[in-house]
Amino acid sequence: MRLISGFGLAWRSLSRYRLRAFFMMAGVMIGICSLTILDSVGQSTKRETMQRFKNMLGTFDTVMIRPGAGRTRGMVSLTNVPPTLKFEDAQAIADDVPEVKRVAQLQNAFDIDVQYRDRTDSPAIFGVSANWLDLRGDQVAQGTFITTDDVQSLARVAVLGSDVVSILFPGQDPIGKTIRIGEVPFQVEGVLVSRGAGPGGASLDHLILIPVSTASKRLFNRDFLTMVIAQLRDPDQNDVAVRKITALLRQRHHIAASALDDFTITNPAATMAQVTQMGSTLSETLEGTAILATMIGGVVIMSLMLIAVSERRKEIGVRRSVGASRRDILVQFMAEALLISSLGGLIGIAFGLGGTNLLARIQKLPPIFAWSALVWAAGISVGLGIVFGIYPAWKAAQVDPVTALRS
Amino acid sequence: MIQLTRVCKTYHRGDGTPVVAAQDISIHVERGEFVALRGPSGSGKSSLLNIIGCLDKPTGGTYSLDGEDLSGFSDRQLSRIRARAIGFVFQSFNLLPRTTALENIELPMIYSAGRVDRKKAMATLERVALRERANHYGTELSGGEQQRVAIARALINDPPIILADEPTGNLDSKSGTEIMEILRQLHKEGRTIILVTHDDTVARYALREIVLKDGTMASDQVRQAHPISAGHISGGTQ
Repeated sequence: MRLISGFGLAWRSLSRYRLRAFFMMAGVMIGICSLTILDSVGQSTKRETMQRFKNMLGTFDTVMIRPGAGRTRGMVSLTNVPPTLKFEDAQAIADDVPEVKRVAQLQNAFDIDVQYRDRTDSPAIFGVSANWLDLRGDQVAQGTFITTDDVQSLARVAVLGSDVVSILFPGQDPIGKTIRIGEVPFQVEGVLVSRGAGPGGASLDHLILIPVSTASKRLFNRDFLTMVIAQLRDPDQNDVAVRKITALLRQRHHIAASALDDFTITNPAATMAQVTQMGSTLSETLEGTAILATMIGGVVIMSLMLIAVSERRKEIGVRRSVGASRRDILVQFMAEALLISSLGGLIGIAFGLGGTNLLARIQKLPPIFAWSALVWAAGISVGLGIVFGIYPAWKAAQVDPVTALRS
Repeated sequence: MIQLTRVCKTYHRGDGTPVVAAQDISIHVERGEFVALRGPSGSGKSSLLNIIGCLDKPTGGTYSLDGEDLSGFSDRQLSRIRARAIGFVFQSFNLLPRTTALENIELPMIYSAGRVDRKKAMATLERVALRERANHYGTELSGGEQQRVAIARALINDPPIILADEPTGNLDSKSGTEIMEILRQLHKEGRTIILVTHDDTVARYALREIVLKDGTMASDQVRQAHPISAGHISGGTQ
C-alpha cells in the first residue's frame, strides 16, 4: 500500500469522525496559532527596538563619555551631571587618542522655554559642535546646519527638530525667522530630518540644536559639557580606545589610582546588544510556552488516537482480514495523526497570521509576515503528528485481528 | 490445496492459563471442495478457520497452501495471501461503521491493488443484487443485505477460497437461505468453501463435514451431493 493511499484512507476515516478530528486538531491549532503570533510579534518587536536604537544613536562606531560615575537617570543634561567634563577634555581626547577620529561636544538642557511670536514650546536645547551631523547620522531637511564659523563666532543660530517646527511654525517656513530661546534671540537656519521614536517610544525630534559655544557662553553660562561623543577610526578598536580615553581623563582630572572615575564611558553597540538580548530572552520564553502548549495539543492527539484505536479494534480486524498488513494499519493511523496535526497546524498558521496582522494594525506597525515563524510552525506540527502519532499507530498495528473480530 | 499437518493452537488467557484450541489436526482440502466444520462451542472450529485464513498462525504443525509451507511467512506475506486468495464472511457481517456498501466492497482493493476500481465494485455489488443500495450505510441495510455486502467484499478480489464463520447465525431463515444459495453458487463456480456452522440445515449445503471436539478431529465424512431441497434454515442459533 502506498503512502498516498494511506492519506486517502486517513482522510476518509477522519471525515467519518469529524467531531473527534476537530478536537484533535484544536490543541495543535491553538498552540501553533499562538506560536506564530508570538514569533512574528517577537521578531518585529526586535526589529522595531533595533530601529529605535539606531534612531537614537545614529552611528555605531562611537563611544559616549559623560561626566559622573555610575548611572544617571534618563538622558544627561546640565541639571543632572557634575561639572567635571570640560571643553578641553574633549579637545584632548581628539588630539591625544590616536584611535579617535574626531569628537563631538554636547551641552544640553531640557524644557527650555522657546517663543516665536505668540507661540511657545519647551523642547530640549542641544548645544553641539559643527560635526554633530556626521557623528549622529542626522540630516538636514531644509536650510543649513551649524558651521565651524558659527561655533567660533558664538553665532545665535538654531536648527530645529521637526516637532518644534510643527509647534512653532505650523504651515510656515521657519528658515530665517527669529525665535527666542530663554530670552536670547536666535535665527533659524535649518530643520532636521525626523528621526522617529527612541527606545522608550518618545520622539527624538523635539529639540533645537545651537552651537555648543553659544550655548555655553550666551545661554546657559556653564563651562562644562554633558557629553562627549568620540568617533573611532575602527569600531573593532573599541576596547583600546576606551582604555586610552579612561587613562587620559583620569590623568587630566588628577584622579588617584585608588579612586573611581569621575566620568562614564558607554559603548552604544554593546548597550544595544544587551537590550536586544533581553528582548530575545523574553520572546524566547514566550515561544517556549507556546511550544509547550503545542505539545499539549500533541498529547491530546495521542490520547484521542489511543481511544480511537480501542474503539476501532473491529475496523482494524476487518481491514486485517481483507488483506491489510500490520504495516498498512500503522501507515493508516500514522497518516491520520499526521493529517490531523498538519491540518491543525495549517489552520493555526492561518489564524496566527491573521492575529499578528490584526495586532500590527492595532499597534500601527507595518504588516508582519515572518517566514521563520511559518517554517517553525509547519515543522512543529508535522513533528507532533509523527511523535505523538507513532505510539497509537503502533498500538493499532498490534491489535490481534482474531480477538478484534470476535468481540 | 489446503494442507494442515498436525496443527496445534494454544492460546493464553489473560491470567496466563493456556487453552488448547486445536491439537494435532491434519486436514487436506482439495480445490473446489465445500466443507462444513462443525462441533460444539469451543471445539476449535473458528480457530482452525482463522489459521486457514492466514489471520492466525498455528503454534505447532504446518499449514501449506498450494504446496507452499506458510510457517516462515512474514506478516506482509500472509496479508498478501489474505488479500488475494481468501475471502472472509463473518457471522456479525463486520461492515465498517459509517461507511457505504460500496466503500465496504472497495476496501480489499486498497490492500491488494493500492487503488480502487469502482466499476468492478459496482459489478460485484450487482452479483449480490444490491446495486441500488450502493450508497447506503450499513445501518440502513437489513441483516441479509449486510451479509450480502460482506460476501461481495469477500469476492471483490476473486479469491479461490471463501471462509464463512457462521454466516447465517445472525439472520432469519429466509435471508439465511439466500446467503447459502449464494455460497452454493460460488462453489459451483469452482471456489473452495469452508463453512463453520452448528446448524444442520446449513451444514447440509456442504459436500464434506468435519466435526471437531475439544480441539481434535472427531469425524470427517464426505456427502454424496447437494441435497435438492435444503429446506429452510432456522434463524439465529446463537
